[in-house]
Amino acid sequence: MDPTEVEFLAEKEIVKIIPNFSLDKIYLIGGDLGPFNPGLPVQVPVWLALNLKQRQKCRILPPQWMDVDKLEEVREMERKEDSFTPPPSPYYMELTKLLLNHASDNIPKADEIRTLVKDIWDTRIAKLRLSADSFISQQEAHAKLDNLTLMEINTTRSFLLGSLNCMFKLRSNMQPGTSTGKGPDY
Amino acid sequence: MPCERKPMRYGHSEGHTDVTFDDAGKFIVTCGSDGDVRIWESLDDDDPRSINVGEKAYSLALKKRKLVTAGSNNTVQIHTFPEGDPDGILTRFTTHATHVAFNHSGSRVAAGSSDFMVKVVEVADSSQQKTLRGHDAPVLSVTFDPKDEFLASASCDGSVVIWKIDEQTKVTSWPVLQKSNDVSTAKSLCRLGWQPKTAKLLAVPVGLKVHLYERDSWEHVSTLSDDMMTQPINVVAWSPCGQLLAAGSVGGFLTVWNAESKLCVERQKHEKGYTVCGLAWHPSGRQLAYTDTQGSLGLLDDLPTASSATKTPKVAANDYDDLFDEDDDRAMDEGLSDTHSPAKRPVAGGDDDDDDDLMPATGRVKNRSSFLDDENSLDTVSLALGQGKYGDDDDAGSTVAPPTGPSLPLRPAYEGPLPTLPQKPFQPGSTPAHLTHRFMTWNSVGVVRGYNDDQDNAVDVEFHDTAVHHAMHLTNALGHTLADLSQEAVLLACPATDELASKLQCLHFSSWDANKEWIVDLPAGEDVRALVLGQGWAAAATSARTLRLFTVGGVQKEIFSLPGHVVSMAAHGEQLLVVYHRGTGFDGDQALGVQLLQLGRRKRQVIHGEPLPLSCKAHLAWLGFTAEGTPCYVDSEGVVRMLNRSLGNTWTPVCNTRETCKGKSDHFWVVAVHENPQQLRCIPCKGSRYPPTLPRPAVAILPFKLPLCQTTTEKGQMEEQYWRSTLLQNHYSFLSSSGYEIDDEGQNQNQKEQQELLMKMFALSCKLEREFRCMELAELMTQSVVTLAVRYASRSRRMNLAQRLNELAMEKANQLQEEQEQEEEEVQEEEHHTPRSRRPAPLGGPSGKQSKGPVLKPLAPKPKTKVSLIQRPWTGFQLWLEENRKSILADSPDLQETDVIKAAMGSFRSLSAEDRLSWTERAKGQSGEAADLKKRKRVEEAGEGDESRVKADENIAKKKKSLDTTAKLSAFAFNKN
Repeated sequence: MDPTEVEFLAEKEIVKIIPNFSLDKIYLIGGDLGPFNPGLPVQVPVWLALNLKQRQKCRILPPQWMDVDKLEEVREMERKEDSFTPPPSPYYMELTKLLLNHASDNIPKADEIRTLVKDIWDTRIAKLRLSADSFISQQEAHAKLDNLTLMEINTTRSFLLGSLNCMFKLRSNMQPGTSTGKGPDY
Repeated sequence: MPCERKPMRYGHSEGHTDVTFDDAGKFIVTCGSDGDVRIWESLDDDDPRSINVGEKAYSLALKKRKLVTAGSNNTVQIHTFPEGDPDGILTRFTTHATHVAFNHSGSRVAAGSSDFMVKVVEVADSSQQKTLRGHDAPVLSVTFDPKDEFLASASCDGSVVIWKIDEQTKVTSWPVLQKSNDVSTAKSLCRLGWQPKTAKLLAVPVGLKVHLYERDSWEHVSTLSDDMMTQPINVVAWSPCGQLLAAGSVGGFLTVWNAESKLCVERQKHEKGYTVCGLAWHPSGRQLAYTDTQGSLGLLDDLPTASSATKTPKVAANDYDDLFDEDDDRAMDEGLSDTHSPAKRPVAGGDDDDDDDLMPATGRVKNRSSFLDDENSLDTVSLALGQGKYGDDDDAGSTVAPPTGPSLPLRPAYEGPLPTLPQKPFQPGSTPAHLTHRFMTWNSVGVVRGYNDDQDNAVDVEFHDTAVHHAMHLTNALGHTLADLSQEAVLLACPATDELASKLQCLHFSSWDANKEWIVDLPAGEDVRALVLGQGWAAAATSARTLRLFTVGGVQKEIFSLPGHVVSMAAHGEQLLVVYHRGTGFDGDQALGVQLLQLGRRKRQVIHGEPLPLSCKAHLAWLGFTAEGTPCYVDSEGVVRMLNRSLGNTWTPVCNTRETCKGKSDHFWVVAVHENPQQLRCIPCKGSRYPPTLPRPAVAILPFKLPLCQTTTEKGQMEEQYWRSTLLQNHYSFLSSSGYEIDDEGQNQNQKEQQELLMKMFALSCKLEREFRCMELAELMTQSVVTLAVRYASRSRRMNLAQRLNELAMEKANQLQEEQEQEEEEVQEEEHHTPRSRRPAPLGGPSGKQSKGPVLKPLAPKPKTKVSLIQRPWTGFQLWLEENRKSILADSPDLQETDVIKAAMGSFRSLSAEDRLSWTERAKGQSGEAADLKKRKRVEEAGEGDESRVKADENIAKKKKSLDTTAKLSAFAFNKN
C-alpha cells in the first residue's frame, strides 16, 4: 500500500469542528453529518474538516490525544518499553501530518506536538528495525508484533519482503542441495 | 460547637503545602509543591495572585511585608509582600530547607534543613547568621521562643531540642519522636508551637498526643489528647491569644483544645480525610486555615474564641495592636485604590470619617452608601464573605465589616443577620473586568473579547456565523468595559472618567446607509451599568437607576426609573428582562427583583418587579433568554431556572450544572439555552468559574433535568420527562400568542410524546395496583388517550377503574364540545352583530384571541377545531335553537336577534349533559357528508365507551362467577390440607 492510500484511510477518522455557518443535516453514503450550528462543536470526518477549514468555514478542535502532556507520557512509555505500546491513535502519524499542515493555527503548541509525534514515530520505527534485524539474524520463521499502525507496517513491508526474498535466493544459491528443505518458510 | 467548615478548594498541585495569614488577616497565603506562593483574598477568591518562588516550595513564613520561603533550590528566599518582588536570598544550605519561621518581632528567621543544620538569620542583614549544629538527621521543624531567647527544633533523629540562640548551645533535648531517615518518610512533620505572648508552653506533637513543656524548667507538664485522633498529629498551632491550641493530623482530623482546661473545644474532620500539613490561625482567632497534602486549601470559620467572656487584659491589648495594624493597612490600600480611581478620593475620605464615629448599629445605612459607589468595592463578584467579615476590605465596602473579630472590645456587639455586599452589575456571558484578556460578552450571536495590556487596548468582535458579519477588530480608545452583540449591531459602553462622560457607542453594521456608527454621551454623573440589544432597539441601565431605551439607529426613546440598582439585563426580540437590587440581602443572600417588559407595539409589563429566587447564599451569574424567548437565569450555585408562563410566571429549576462537574472547583459557564432541542450550551471551566480567552474554549452541551424526587426509579424518570416536556413547550403558546409562526409539527410531536409518557405512567401505576393514581394521570390526558386508557383498564380487568375512566372520558368529551360551542357562539355573535351593537374594541380583543383559544390549549386536539372553523357544520345548539326559537320569542317578543341567541345559549346550557349530547348527535346526523371525520370517530369512540361499559358489566358478572368457582376450589384445597 502506498502512504497516500493509508492517508486516505486516515481521513475517515472523526474529529470535532466548530463551524461558523449553519446547515441542516447532510445525508451521505457513509452516514449522516450535522446539523451544523455556528459555534457548536460537531463531529465530522477529517476529510470534511480539512475541506471546511481550507474554505475558512470552521475551526478544528484537536483530538484528545493531541496534547503535549499526553504525548510526552506516550513517548516516555514508548522509550521505556521494549515492545510496542498502544499508539495514541491508530492513525496518529497521518492525522498529525494532516491537521498540523492544514490547521496548525487551531492547535495549541503545534510545533511541540510535531516534534513529539516525530519522536514517537522514530522510536517505534527503530524498534521495528531492531526486531526485523533480530528476526533475520536468528532466521526465525515467524514473529508477532502487536500495536503496529497501518502506516508503520507499510513503511517496512515492501523493503522487508523484498530483502527476505532476495536473501532466500542468495541462501538457496549458496546451499543448492538443501535450499528447498531448509530455507525459511516465508 | 458552632464552627463552619468551608468546602475545600484546589490550591496547588498534589504534594506538600503550607499556609499562613498575613499580619492583618486580609490574605491567606499558601505555598505548594508546584513552587508557587498564592495570595488569596478569601477562600472564595477565584483569581489568587501567584508568585513563583522555585520548582517546589516546602515552607513559608510571612511577617512585616516580608515573605520568606524555603524552596527546592537549597535556598531561603525573601519576597516582598504583597507585591511578590524578589528581595534576595537569605541563606543557603547544602540541601533544601524544610521549615522556616519568623520570630515574634519579625527581625529574625530560623530555617531548618535536611543537611541537619538550623540557621538563625537576621532579616535586615543576612550576613549575621548563627548556625545550630547538633541534630543527627534532617530537621523537621523550627520555632522561636516569643521572647527571642530560645529556639526549639524537631528532627528526624527523634529528638526535640531547645537551643539558646545567642550561645548557639543545646539547652535540653527530649528523645520523644519516632526516628526516620528523611522528612518524606517521617511519620509526622512535627511542627512545633510555642505559646505566644506568655511564652510559657511549648507544644510538641508526639504521636497521637500533644506534649506541653514548660519554659525554663523544661519539664513535661501536661498532655493534650483526643480520642478521635487515630493517626499521628502533623502540625500544631497556637491561637493568637495563646489560649487555644489547634492540631491537624495525618488522617485529616482537626482538633482545638483549650490549653488551660485541656478540653477539646472544637473537632472537625477533613472532608476527604487527607493529611493536614499546614495550619494557621487568623489574627482575630476566629478562623483557622489549613492545607492538605493533596494541595487543597480549607477554612474553619466562626471558631469559638477562648472564653470570650473572660478575656484577659493582655488579649485585649493585643486586639488593639491588631486594630492599629489594620488601620495602617487600610490607609495604604486606600492609597492604592485612589491611584486607580482618583475621582473617588473624597468619597473614600468621607467613609474613613464615618468609620471613626459611626457605630455598627448603623451598618445598614453605611451599607447603602457603600452600595452607591460600589465600583470601588471588591474586584470580582466573589463575595469575600469569610474574609471580609474579619479583615477589612480595601475601601468603602469595608464599612459593612461586622463588629466581630479584633474590634469586638470597642464596639457594642450586634448579633443579628449580617447584610450581604450587593453584587456588582455584570453583562451576561462576560468574565471579570480586571482581567487583561477577557470576554466582554459571549452569546448566541458571537463573542466580544477585550484586550487591555501594555501593547494594545482593543476589542475583537467575532461572529459564530460568519454569514452575519465578518469579524471586527476595534481599537478601544474610549476604554469600553461593557459590550453586547446582536444580529444587527454591537453595543459598547465605557464608564465616565475625570474629563469624559460615560459613553454609549453602537456599531450598527446591518444599517443600509453609509453611517454605521453612533455615540451618545450620558449626562454628567451617570454611568452605564448594564446594556442590552434587542431586535431594533437598545437599552442601557445607568447608575442613576434609570433605564434608557434607544432605537438601534440611535433615536432616543422611552426612559424610566428602576426600583433599584441594576444587576443585569437581557433581551430577546421585543422582550426586556431587567434584574435589579430590591434591597439589602442578609447572611450571604442577595435581594434581587426582576421585571419583564414587552416593548414593541403592545407595550406592557409582564413581571412587575417580583423577587428573583436564588439558591441559598448565591448570586446571579447569568441572565438571558432561551433561543425560543423564555427568560432564564443561572445562579452562582449553577442552578438554571426558567420562567414557567403556564404556572403564573413562576421560576422552575431545570438543571443543576454543578451536578455534572467532576471537581469541587469546576464550573460550567453558561452561554446559551435552547428549548427545542433541549440544550444547555456552556463552557466547562476546570478549577474556575469562567474560561480563559486562550486557548479558545469549546462549547459543551448539557441536558436539562428537573430536580424531581426519585429520578432513579422508572416512575420518577417518566414524571421528570413529562414535566420537562410540558415546561419546555410553553414557548409554543407564548410564540403563537405574540404572533410568531410556530413549528406545528414540533408541537404535535411534543404533545404526542407527552401523551405517550402519560400512558406509560398509567400502565405502570396499573401494574402497581394504584388505581387512584391512574385516575389522576388520566385527568392529565387528552380525551382520545383516555379512551385508550379505558381499553387498557378493561383489558387488564380493572372494572372499577375502567368505569371511572369512562366517566372521565365523557366529561372530557363534553368539555371539548362546550369549548367548540363557545367558539361557535362567538363566531355567530360576530356574524350577527352589526357594527353598531359591537362591543368596544378592548373587549373585542380578548374574544378575538379566544377564538384562537384551542390553539393555545395544548390538550385540545388542534386539527379538529381547525376543521370546525372552516367547514362549520350544523351544531347541536343551532339545531336546538331552530326548534326553540319560537318559544323564546314568545317568552320575550321584543328581543333583538343577538339577545335571542344569548338567551337561547343560557337555556341550552341549563339542559343536562345527555340532552346536549343527543342534540349534538342529531346535528351530526344532519350534517351528513360534510361531517368531520374526526368527530365521527369521537362518536364512535364514545360508542365504544358504551360498548366497553356493557362489556364491563358482563365482565363483572363473569368475574363474579369465576370468583365463586375459585372460592370453591380454594375451600377444597384447604380442606385437603
